[in-house]
Amino acid sequence: MHELLLFASVPAHQHHELLQQLAGLTAMQPRHRLERRLVFKAHRKPGLSNARGGTNQGADIVRLNKMLNGGMYYTQVVGPISEPDFETQPSSSGDPDAPMSGTDETAGSSYDYDSQPWKLEFRDIPEAGTRSTITARLAASATLPKGDIVTPMNAWGYSFVTEYVVEGDAFIHNDIVIFLHRVLQYPIHGQEPHEPRRQLPSFRDMSPLERSGSYILQAAITVQDGSNQELMRTASQHLFGLREQLKSAVRLEHADRLSLDTRAK
Amino acid sequence: MTTPTPDQIKTLEQSRQRLVQLTHSLGSLITSLNQSDPLPSWPSLQSQASIISSNLLTLSTHLSENHELLRSIPAYPAPEFPTKTHGNTLEQLLRTKLDPRVDDWVSRGRKGDTNALARPGSTLPGGGVSSALVGGFGNGGAAGLSEGDLAALWEWAPVEANMEARRRNWGGDFTLEERERGVQGIAAELGLRRTLEDDEGSSEEEEEEEPDEMEVVGVRKSITGSGVEFDIAPSGAGARAAAQEGAAPLVPLDDILRYMTTGVLPGQR
Repeated sequence: MHELLLFASVPAHQHHELLQQLAGLTAMQPRHRLERRLVFKAHRKPGLSNARGGTNQGADIVRLNKMLNGGMYYTQVVGPISEPDFETQPSSSGDPDAPMSGTDETAGSSYDYDSQPWKLEFRDIPEAGTRSTITARLAASATLPKGDIVTPMNAWGYSFVTEYVVEGDAFIHNDIVIFLHRVLQYPIHGQEPHEPRRQLPSFRDMSPLERSGSYILQAAITVQDGSNQELMRTASQHLFGLREQLKSAVRLEHADRLSLDTRAK
Repeated sequence: MTTPTPDQIKTLEQSRQRLVQLTHSLGSLITSLNQSDPLPSWPSLQSQASIISSNLLTLSTHLSENHELLRSIPAYPAPEFPTKTHGNTLEQLLRTKLDPRVDDWVSRGRKGDTNALARPGSTLPGGGVSSALVGGFGNGGAAGLSEGDLAALWEWAPVEANMEARRRNWGGDFTLEERERGVQGIAAELGLRRTLEDDEGSSEEEEEEEPDEMEVVGVRKSITGSGVEFDIAPSGAGARAAAQEGAAPLVPLDDILRYMTTGVLPGQR
């Protein structure tokens, strides 16, 4: 599976406007998305690893093994969450489109780490050269068991590095997934923990990585068969088409290849 | 048979000169359309068109002024005419009927002429010219209504047409009744020579796309062809300037992407 990407930086004051424009362009309401992202790093040659931890996902595990035995990479574990998962009620700054629990004031956090679904997202370093005006990279995803993910990841030779939350809105425009998002960091009390948090802090305490509150616009097309040059070319052309359409609002560009370098040194 | 008077020869000579002028300006328009790339600019096309139009007008006046004479003059080959070398010219001169192509033009012109007469107040220049060429039949018709009648007609027609139009259910260029009976037939019936687009089909498509325009912000295709324009325009110079003033992101995009990929905080590399 290949991913073709274009990025743009969106200043905070333009965020609302761009949301409206994208809603107009794609003729859909934004889908609000909140994701926990855990960054893992391969810490030894995973050739020794024996695949265990998921018995009912044969095909996924086979694919994973192939992937993991390749080289040493950073990889991400992604889990969808929602605002009520955060300890307190959603703050007023929350997006009104997000699902609200609203009623259980007393229950506090409804977040249950043990039933948190996870997905492994492997992304290769973007291809060099050939399509320099667009970011293209090999991508693979696999479903992981719920709950505690650190143990199986350790068993595969991956150690936990850090975690953050991605908050944003997704749109679908034909075959393009447009994701307008930003990174939220957990409040740091003393030392950063060495494993994923079992409890989520108040959403209000989450601070954007980019202090001015700017967003990233990411336009992506996923091509199942990356070796098919024809498909890749069509997909690039679609992305360029979108870039033209949005030209008056944002400037979509390919990202610096090294900033998306997932190889672990 | 009498030899033509000098006056008559002068008239014929003038007709010839005006026709030469006309063919010349038509020819130069055709050449410029055929050969210049890109196409000639609007102003130059328009000036050529107005030259042709004034040529037509003078020719038309000339022909109708002298149509008595021109109609009554037959061509008659004199013995000294060089038949061997100018046979074609002779044949053209001795034709009793018009060339089939010319005949087509003339009949089209006549049709235009009758149409123009059916609509008082508007005369098609082509119709006028062709009728003049053929002998000035149409000239009496335009004067058929007095000034007062014309004014009264103009007074009456818009109101009446409007009322008539309101009684019908319009979908574009044709009414719904007409559409049901078949647009092709109607066009023939009305003598429409230009094909009016029956845009019923495309209008449905547009309706499907309409959410595009009904969303929180209007989006429309840019006039320049590529891209879309937004009603609230960030492309405006003001917004762009604001973006550049201070509100710009502090952390470069690349650093954010790097953090998202590897967890390396900006500035820690």
